[in-house]
Amino acid sequence: MKWLIAQFRRRLVSILMLLAMAGIWQILSTIYTAEAVPGEPMVPGWQIVFSRTLLSLSDYWQGGLGVPSVAEGAPQSYLAALLSILDHSVDTIVRLYVGLLIGGLVGSLLGMAVSWSPWTRRIVDLPVQLLRTLPLLAMVPMFQLWFGIDFVGKIAFVGYGVGVIFFAGVVNAVKNVPQIYIDNARTLGASRLQIYRTVVMPAIFPEMRGTILLSLGIGWAAVLGAEYLGAQSGLGYVIIYSEQFAYLDRMFVVALIFVFYASISYAIFDRLSRRLLQWTPQAGRVVAHG
Amino acid sequence: MAQRFDVLGLIGLVLLVAVWQLLTFAIPLIALPHPAHVAERIGEDFIVADYLLFYGLPETGLLDSMIYTTQNVLIAVALGATVGTVCGLVTARFDLIRAVIDPVLLVLGTIPILVLAPFFLIWFGTGRTSAVLLVAIYVAVILYIYAQRAASTLNPVYEDAAYTLGASRRRVVWDVLIKGTVPQILGGIRIALAGAWGLEAIAELLGAQQGIGKIVQVLAGSTDMEGIFAALLVLGILAVVFDAFTARFFSYVSAWSVEARTGGG
Repeated sequence: MKWLIAQFRRRLVSILMLLAMAGIWQILSTIYTAEAVPGEPMVPGWQIVFSRTLLSLSDYWQGGLGVPSVAEGAPQSYLAALLSILDHSVDTIVRLYVGLLIGGLVGSLLGMAVSWSPWTRRIVDLPVQLLRTLPLLAMVPMFQLWFGIDFVGKIAFVGYGVGVIFFAGVVNAVKNVPQIYIDNARTLGASRLQIYRTVVMPAIFPEMRGTILLSLGIGWAAVLGAEYLGAQSGLGYVIIYSEQFAYLDRMFVVALIFVFYASISYAIFDRLSRRLLQWTPQAGRVVAHG
Repeated sequence: MAQRFDVLGLIGLVLLVAVWQLLTFAIPLIALPHPAHVAERIGEDFIVADYLLFYGLPETGLLDSMIYTTQNVLIAVALGATVGTVCGLVTARFDLIRAVIDPVLLVLGTIPILVLAPFFLIWFGTGRTSAVLLVAIYVAVILYIYAQRAASTLNPVYEDAAYTLGASRRRVVWDVLIKGTVPQILGGIRIALAGAWGLEAIAELLGAQQGIGKIVQVLAGSTDMEGIFAALLVLGILAVVFDAFTARFFSYVSAWSVEARTGGG
């Protein structure tokens, strides 16, 4: 009971804190009234964000579903704004998850293949370290040239970014599987393939949790990066267009949408992984040393 | 955890270059430059890169850009690590403060740099401040999580033993809490440092006067793949070298810790 109250109090303080942050933003917007370009405050207050800015997002609606686009001469409307947010979000999210899936699969498979023997593992160690340090987002121009600026280019970019993380994560996790598990299985007559399927794969999953969380973050960054240069849709495209005209308020709304999506995807993953990891002895606890 | 140099790693690097070389036969040179050409390019552009003058940049080269980028990364890591560690340690012991700081830092941490960067560029301009602050934020979030976890998983026996022996609160904080969490915090700094190079590069790419990211940005405009490869490779090497040195240094500093001595960690 006491624990429950403490938990509740913590939640409450967190919510209050978020409200306080929103309040501080509002106060900043009244104190700091400088404008990036005429009519565009550097710190857009909430009264602007929820009226003018939200309406202005309908500029990015390309028409359809009986709701005419602003480009066709229709006035700005909240319905078009909502549709445009949904439309661009779907584009971005599809790119993100297709890329995540492909990158995760390819990266994990390659990682397992390399972990087959300690020799190959040692050989790929340094090259992978180098590949990992190459700044992903600075490589967008290359991927555009290699795969084009359409769907394939973006998927390839997200896939690469996520794939490298997964690859490194799997190699590292396999390395950390206690040798005694493998020795035991081998003593009982398991083949290498069997060991992989029944010992190594379940054993690395708990450690892969961190990797998957990291790759979610990288994936969001990568899909934005891919949209940054030469996309015709998606949240990244909206940000770029807004930035070119210094529409700070629109950028702010998209940033909020991002925080919303990111928090949801983290929360879902957290739930899911907790359920999947129920069988481990330390489920839900941070693994201590020793 | 002292890392010994693995000769096999060198073979891996050679293999990587060999694969790259093989790929150049299949992919046109404009998309994938020759490894030898890229190496040559690094040599040519190292002190003064002529082409940068055409883009309106002052006379500069890869070396100057490397120095600029490195300075920014180090300042940002120092700043972010200090803030993140202090907040992390404090919040591990005081629930109320944790409830206050957790949402702020964790929300900031989930915003991709590409979303955050435009704001900073408009607010603080395209100088050093924007890039350093941006990188520092992400470093702070990483260190916050690391320090918090280190302090909350620190075996309570240590603190209890110190109190039993009559240590003052201040001494417990200094001798147990801080020293006990140092190995894990250093591990966090290493991870943050490794990521900081990429963040700094992207911050420069979006808007800066100089730096490796700036070079990539200029060259991307004219799809000069050779130059982009050269700049990225230099940055990668820089990051690997710095990582190797910090790993050495950190394992020396935390040589006394249980994890280091038992080889775990």
